[in-house]
Amino acid sequence: MDKIIKKKTGIPALEIKNLTVSYGHKPVLLDISLKVERGLMVGVIGPNGAGKSTLIKVVLGFVEPDFGEIQIFGSPFQQLKGKVAYVPQRGSVDWDFPITVGQVVMMGRYNHVSWWSSPGKDDRDAVDKALDLVRITDLRDRQIGMLSGGQQQRVFMARALAQGADLLLLDEPFAGVDAATERAILDVLSNAKKNGQTLIVVHHDLLTAAEYFDKLILIKQRLFAYGPPKDVLKPGLLGEVYEGRLAIFRDFETREALK
Amino acid sequence: MSGFLYQAFVEPLSQGFFLKALLGGIVTAVVCSVIGCLVILKRMSFLGDALSHAMIAGVSGGYLFMKIAFGIEAYAPAMLAGSVIAAVITIGLIGFVSNISRIKEDTAIGIVYTGVFAAGVVIVSIFHDLIHIDIVHFIMGDVLGIADSDLWVSAFVAAIVLSVIVLFFRYFQITAFDPVMAASMGIPVVLLDYVLTTGVSLVVVSAVTMVGVILVVGLLITPAATAYLISDRLDRMMMLAALFGVTSVVGGLYLSVWLDSSGGGAIMLFCTFQFLFVLFIAPRYGIISNWLRKKRMIPQELREDLLVSILRKKGDAISIQDLKEFVRVYASLFHQAVKTLLRERLITSDKKGLVLTDRGEEEAMKILRAHRLWESYLQSVGAPGGEIHQMAHQLEHLEYDQSVGYLDSKLGHPLHGPHGEYIPEESDKIEAIKAIPLKDLKNGEEAEVISVGEKAGKSGLKKGDIILSKTSMIGKITISRKKTKKTLSKDAAMQVIVRLVERGEKKKRS
Repeated sequence: MDKIIKKKTGIPALEIKNLTVSYGHKPVLLDISLKVERGLMVGVIGPNGAGKSTLIKVVLGFVEPDFGEIQIFGSPFQQLKGKVAYVPQRGSVDWDFPITVGQVVMMGRYNHVSWWSSPGKDDRDAVDKALDLVRITDLRDRQIGMLSGGQQQRVFMARALAQGADLLLLDEPFAGVDAATERAILDVLSNAKKNGQTLIVVHHDLLTAAEYFDKLILIKQRLFAYGPPKDVLKPGLLGEVYEGRLAIFRDFETREALK
Repeated sequence: MSGFLYQAFVEPLSQGFFLKALLGGIVTAVVCSVIGCLVILKRMSFLGDALSHAMIAGVSGGYLFMKIAFGIEAYAPAMLAGSVIAAVITIGLIGFVSNISRIKEDTAIGIVYTGVFAAGVVIVSIFHDLIHIDIVHFIMGDVLGIADSDLWVSAFVAAIVLSVIVLFFRYFQITAFDPVMAASMGIPVVLLDYVLTTGVSLVVVSAVTMVGVILVVGLLITPAATAYLISDRLDRMMMLAALFGVTSVVGGLYLSVWLDSSGGGAIMLFCTFQFLFVLFIAPRYGIISNWLRKKRMIPQELREDLLVSILRKKGDAISIQDLKEFVRVYASLFHQAVKTLLRERLITSDKKGLVLTDRGEEEAMKILRAHRLWESYLQSVGAPGGEIHQMAHQLEHLEYDQSVGYLDSKLGHPLHGPHGEYIPEESDKIEAIKAIPLKDLKNGEEAEVISVGEKAGKSGLKKGDIILSKTSMIGKITISRKKTKKTLSKDAAMQVIVRLVERGEKKKRS
């Protein structure tokens, strides 16, 4: 599979055509089409309830689209199981679940292990390496609820790394972590990018969005813009999408103007 | 004495009904407890209740069908199949009602299972001359009157359900913990949910004959919840739950013989007491250990003040008498606090006095960081100079995770406090060794230039320059080098690779 992917270099990492998703009667995503080129770090921004997390869940195959087509590295997403890694939002994880750090990271290896056999040396090595990359090796046998917020976020980063996927989807990895963890995560993400992995990151902080990402996807049900940060972070466009709930951005503009 | 013990423990074993109850009960309890772990982790407890109530419709339907079609009385496999069919219909109806209407799932469960249960009761009473089902027996269960056919059903169910759980353990684990990731790996999440629900209904069917409709949920979730209190891994939780299930049955059956009470009731009573007992004594999440921890606890403020006081001695030992001067508390509390810090290995004592361990230093650094950040913040909002230290001293004890990250970003990640003191970084050791693009430097950070890229050529920066980052607004970075200021574009700042100057190096220089 890897070989096939490497040969077809012109093919985008993710291609979405006319994607429409609804929960019951409520449309969540409407007619979204976009292409994410490979090797980019792309931010997904939009107000609360804009369908950012849903977009991630559709690509992961957890939510069924009503309509539309999703291709990952040129193949329909149903065929590329495990080629997409996922880092959930911290609030959506059950931190009381009886599971240790090492076991969570090992989950990243499950698609490398057939259901009748146990994880082998390769898998354990991959887990060791991933734990080391995010510097939580000494926490391996802790139950996940006993970690600090930043450490919890790193567990899931390690899981995504251990999976060795070509496309990484992250749901608000920077929410509620301290500055040191934010930098550590950013570091891991840029390394993944350097290794040719494509990253799609749901992000809520517009101030840092331009700094972190190569391209931004701005959604609120519909796709409002997709392109380099300077084309997406335009006051007019953002004002339309955020409907005046954009105090933080006004603040930012005043600071720019004062300089 | 030995006669009494013999009578209490050994004599019941000589009775066939007791042995059968013990055997059937143990098999059922093990499988109930193991699958119960998945039920409580997936928060499906109410479903067990729904399934057990739906069963009566299935059992009477199966009974009636075999009686009318083949004239066979109380044919167990048919009743089992009927129960599973009734369970599937119940679940389907619950899903249907909650999906097509605004009615939420908990209400839908309540509506559907009482409806199906009522249907069962009505069928039994209409056809009372054809089918002989004792509703009271059904509701209360009768573990001491267990029939051979019930034993076979239990063994069969246990074998199937346990093998499925053991074989697909990893899949059940990941689906319960993170269904989104499970789906992305191609694990059939919905199918596994159906397998689990079918497993629960099979288990419920075999348990109802023992403990009855009302108590079956208890057998499903109480041993699992007991194990949940003391487990940090799902596999161990399942094994412990099975153990608690077995002890409930054994303990409960003896209890019922001694008290001459209903078997099912005694089993569940024992099970509940067992849960309460573990709730009290559990090592980490238990009530007693919480209470002990609280009693042993010293005020967080005192603990933090002590650590910082020792830290301010910069590596020198401090005598206990000197340390006491720093904090104004009763001698007894002070000594308890020092003892606690020693026990937690945050400090150690040598000949000259008390010193911080590495871990103690790390913790003290965190508090110092909070203190200095609060000082900077108070100064920036214009608090009177004389009060800043005292106010920061109180505020530094606030919830660390919530306050410090906020202050740090609000202040633009300062490296120095209002009086020019160094603010310790959160994880210095990780940060210092890295080579990073100049763009990622934080406000006030000092760094050494390692390489200069093409675009940054005209900036005049050379390898080995020590620079101080001033502001890090989007797009532009201003740095100062030997007191001259320079502004770089984002692209240029990307191409300049720098290494953060380590704290140790800085100390040496100053």
